[in-house]
Amino acid sequence: MLLLFWILIILGILLVFVFFGYYNRFVLLGNRIDNSLAQINVQLKRRADLIPNLIEAVKGYMKHEKAAIKAVTDARKALVGAKGVEQKVEANKQLESALKTIFAIAEGYPDLKANTNFLELQRELTSTEDKIAYARQFYNDSILTYNNLCKTFPGVLFANLYGKKERKYLQITEAEKKNIDVKF
Amino acid sequence: MKRIDFRDQISSNKRKSFFLMISVFVILIALGYFISLAFSPEYLFFIIIIAIIFSMSYILISYYNSHKIAIASVKATKAYKDDYKQYHDLVEGLTLASGLPKPELYIMHSKSINAFASGRDPSHAVICVTEGALEKLDKNELEGVLAHELGHIASFDMRYMTLVAVMVGMIAIISQIFLRSLWFSSGGNDKNKAIFILIGIVLAILAPIVVYLVQMSISRKREFSADASAVKFTRYPNGLIRALKKIQKDSNFSEKKISKAIAPLFISSPFGKLSSTHPPIEKRISALEKM
Repeated sequence: MLLLFWILIILGILLVFVFFGYYNRFVLLGNRIDNSLAQINVQLKRRADLIPNLIEAVKGYMKHEKAAIKAVTDARKALVGAKGVEQKVEANKQLESALKTIFAIAEGYPDLKANTNFLELQRELTSTEDKIAYARQFYNDSILTYNNLCKTFPGVLFANLYGKKERKYLQITEAEKKNIDVKF
Repeated sequence: MKRIDFRDQISSNKRKSFFLMISVFVILIALGYFISLAFSPEYLFFIIIIAIIFSMSYILISYYNSHKIAIASVKATKAYKDDYKQYHDLVEGLTLASGLPKPELYIMHSKSINAFASGRDPSHAVICVTEGALEKLDKNELEGVLAHELGHIASFDMRYMTLVAVMVGMIAIISQIFLRSLWFSSGGNDKNKAIFILIGIVLAILAPIVVYLVQMSISRKREFSADASAVKFTRYPNGLIRALKKIQKDSNFSEKKISKAIAPLFISSPFGKLSSTHPPIEKRISALEKM
């Protein structure tokens, strides 16, 4: 009788730990998603901040390339004004192609290509583009981990149990899904 | 290649590190016990207590300074962002891809292509690459190598491997001291003493061998899983494959200043083909090509 009592106590404690463990895991993974989203924004902002310097460096050399320069400034404006990751990422695509044009044109200006300031900016812009790609990849990975936990057994039981509290993260998941729908 | 889940890998590494620390502790105490019995039974407790304090503090100090020890032992210098922009940019990109904090970056002054990572956990991590690696590898190849090192960091490999490295050295030193000191001990006539000396000798010889074998078998597995993590981060196995091929061609270089104990920390064995801390590069390439 006493033995049964202790077994039940121990089982009860273990069960409580499982509940705590799953709760913490949901919070942890949700925070990771938030954080990776913030990282994308940091890199997008860094990229937008670099553009005016690039325009300044290029302006003196490319006097007859007003259209290409305007494309870059317009894309930057769109990026700064964009709300939400989807729009921002979309605007960044625009900026990326406008920058490609600028860098292609720059090939024809040996003076510009010898300008260390320009080269430095070009390198920085390429590196932020790489970083944005990596930040997005990690964001998708984090969403995947979170979704896997939500949809597989026994995580699905706890996801339902804690569902109300974790709605925030599920919204982000849906937003990303929509984004994928647009792309494919 | 079977993919190893990250979290399983991490928790198993943490568990193994713990058991390693405990077993090394026991080995050290046993060594101290038999050495003291062999020399001066009257000071037995005194020597054992000294041995306990010594080994405990040694383990703690080496645990908290593992990254500094590894950096200092290869005479690496800090890589400042202004001087090594691409190196910093690539690592920053990879930390975004892996969600890890940015490790401290170091340069090793060597013409061969190599790299290693160290530190007890991701927030105290260091990455060190050779000057040769920065010169001879292109951007994608260097990125693959750095991703491999970050893979070690992500799965707490360095905590485990550094501990093994330090412990192997520690046990080897104690055994050496004991064996050498036997030459100077006055030969006692006591039969018991002779037996204890014998046991002490056997332990002193066996202990380093056992730890060494454990080190070898584990470090080879770690290389494969770090390669897999590198691909997970970069999504581009070709970078690492090309880097490994270049390292293979380059491997007639052999580093003489690298102590054997830290060899498993490197991306490719610093001693050429004979060392068994790393699986053959061909096998690693074929595993990568399957991903």
